[in-house]
Parts: sequence; structure tokens; C-alpha cells
Amino acid sequence: MKRFLLYLLAGLFCALLQSSVFPLFLAVGLRPNLLLILILYLGLSENLSRAVIVTLLLGGIQDSFSGTSLGLYISVNLAILLLVRLLSEHLNTESPPLLLLLIAGGTLVQNLLVGFCLITFADAGEVMRILLAALPQQLLANLVAAGVLLSLFLRLQPRLGARSGMAGLIYQSKRRGS
Amino acid sequence: MRKFLNRYRYFLLAVALLLATLMLYSYNLRQKGATTFFERAVLTLAAPLQSSIDASTDYLTDLWKNYLWLVDTRQRNLQLEKENRELRASLRQVEEFRLQNERLRHLLGFVDDIDRPALPAQVIGEDASSWARTVIVDKGSLSGLRDGLPVVSAEGVVGRVIKTAPNSARVLLLTDASSAVAALVQRTRTRGVARGLGVDLSLDYALRKADIVEGDLLVTSGMGGIFPKGLTIGRVTQIKKDEFGLFQEVKATPAADFSHLEEVLIILGEDE
Repeated sequence: MKRFLLYLLAGLFCALLQSSVFPLFLAVGLRPNLLLILILYLGLSENLSRAVIVTLLLGGIQDSFSGTSLGLYISVNLAILLLVRLLSEHLNTESPPLLLLLIAGGTLVQNLLVGFCLITFADAGEVMRILLAALPQQLLANLVAAGVLLSLFLRLQPRLGARSGMAGLIYQSKRRGS
Repeated sequence: MRKFLNRYRYFLLAVALLLATLMLYSYNLRQKGATTFFERAVLTLAAPLQSSIDASTDYLTDLWKNYLWLVDTRQRNLQLEKENRELRASLRQVEEFRLQNERLRHLLGFVDDIDRPALPAQVIGEDASSWARTVIVDKGSLSGLRDGLPVVSAEGVVGRVIKTAPNSARVLLLTDASSAVAALVQRTRTRGVARGLGVDLSLDYALRKADIVEGDLLVTSGMGGIFPKGLTIGRVTQIKKDEFGLFQEVKATPAADFSHLEEVLIILGEDE
């Protein structure tokens, strides 16, 4: 329950950063999607039931902070989580470069799914053109943000004694040494 | 059958969950006017945090600009004094024009302006995605806001309210791909629909034979019942006419500067 709430608070914090802080410094396309990084991380690190419930709620939070209707990011993020889950069984999830690759893939898939849903359900006209135009910048922003977060975690990890099974983090702990 | 269900239970569960979320999305799309309980709760929870972030940023910016970064202040002061003198002269001229306009409008009996109460609001957040164009303002249902109200700035139309919480509201900007506003070319009264293209606008359904030139001003037509007639939307920047076809392709730049949107006016109620 504690971790569940922690993820939700982290999600709300990310949404606030994305909607109120990043716009002060970064252009529209260059604002990283921290919630996507959190969801990919959840897919690789958490047990399925907890990851699904948290993803649904994080999708709801993202929908409340963007777009026009509740449900878009709930569906898209759930699809991404399930895809990551399918892939994670065949991948070495403790490899940092792989995590970055997954974030690049996740960004592409998220944009395609958002575009597909908006065109299919909402008849949102030119949205695909807007999405594709912003995609390279979005990709770059997400990779840079993930890289910064990852390097930060890797630096802090020996001090914190991180638990095993964390995506992108090779298992180390204070007790067992590095 | 049971064996099949047992074997593929996780897959079937995942598919069912995905379908359920898509149905939720589809249902909410049909309920466009309504703000869901979940959204209201999240917006209510986030509004004070967003206001605090906005206030802190303003404070830090003021501190930096007014007390720390004072390079070229004297030169700027002299320049501003000069500008001030020029502006005062312009203002007197504008006042003269306003009085003249008032007299002429009275003479023609032409009422093409907003005459409704308006509520000022501050932009406290932007859209969390890269494709949607919405902003969050610091006024909500407690201040009398409801879904569908038009939002304007000094330059022109900004958008309309799409979600309301007690102390905040979400505004769909004119440039969002799902935004459409009934428009008129001011000079020729040619009708069309101004649609968002992310940064610019397109004027759809403008007849190929209609007289539109670059630089023409687009204003709201008053059709559709959301925006009052005569509000500035933007200026035509590009026109493409094919040899065949019913309509011409018209692109326009919005009058409002969405990259520096800080204060907006929300138009309340009906025409007085």
C-alpha cells in the first residue's frame, strides 16, 4: 500500500512538473513525458496486478492534465504496460541501455496509439500531423530525461542499497556490497 | 472450453481490460460537456499546488528581474521614458478614434461587439502532452465558470472552457486539433470554420470562389452559440486554390499569442 501511494504521488508530481514547471523553460515538444517513463518503469519492476492498477490511475491523472476526455491515456498507458510486460520476460531488464531503448520505443508506441485513438474515436483532424511533427523532439526529451534520472539513480544506488529487480539498475546493496 | 479459458486467461483478461478502457474513453467523448468526478478530484487537488508553483515562479522572476539583473537599467529607463511619451500621444489619438467609433456605431445601429460580463483569470498550467493544446486557469465553478464558456485575451479569441473544478478550469485553445470555431472573413463576410493545427489555424469550408487575400482578418461569426460575434480570431497567411474542388485551402495565424498566455478573460452569461 505504501509503494502504491508512493507511485501515485510520484505520478501527480510528474503531472504537475509537466503542466506547471516545464512550460516555463521548455518549448511544447521538448517537455519530457515523465509519466511514460514511470509507467515503463512500473512495467519492468512491479508485479502485474499492482502495475495495472497504478497505470490505470496514472492514466486518469494524465487525462485530467491533458486533452479533452478521460480514458485516452488510461487505454494507451495500459496497452503500453501490457506490451512491456510481454517483452520484459524475454529481456534483461537490469540493463540501463535497454531501458533507454524501451523508452524510445514506448514514446513511439504511445504517440501512435494516441493518434490512432484520436482519429478513430474523436475524429481529431490534424492531430496525427501534430504528433508526428513533435515526435523527434519528444523522443529526444524523453531520452535525455530518462538518461538523467537513470544516472542519478545509479549514483544514489550504492548509498540507498536499492532492492533487486529494479529496471535499469544492476543489483547492488549496502549489505552485499557492489 | 474451460481448458481454453484457463490457458488464455491472462490474455483474455488483458484484452477485456483494454476494451473496457476504450469503452470508457468512447463514453466520455460523448459526454463532452461533463467533467467527471475523477477529473474534478485531480484538478481540485492540483489547483492549489499549481497556484503555489505559479506564485513562487512569479516571485523568483520578480526578484531576479527587479533586484539582481539590473544591467542596462538606466539606458532602458531612458528608452522607456521616450516610449512613454510616444504612447501617451498615441493614446490621445486612440481615444479620439474610440469616440468617433462610438458615434458612428450609434449612427449605424450596428452592434457587433461583446456586451457581457467577463471574469479575468490567470493561466496556472499548460497541457501535459505535446499534442493537445489546453491550459489550466485559476478560476472554477465557484467563480461561476461552466463548460463551454468562451475565453479571450486582449488580442483575440483564446478558446473555450471544457472542464471545471471548484477552483480551476481547463481551457481548450483555438489551436487544438479538436477545436473548431465558426468564422467570418471580416472584409468580405465569407464564412468558414477555423480549425486548430497545433500552432496555426485552417479556415475550412471557405468556397473556392470566395474573395480572400493574405492579411485578411478572421473574426467569430457568432454561429454555434459559444463565441459572441466579431471577436478577432487571426489573420490569413496562406491561400491555395486548386483548379477544381468546392473549397479553397486557407491558413491563418491566431491573433492571441499562445506562447505567452498569462491572463485571460472568461466571458460569462448572455448578451446584456
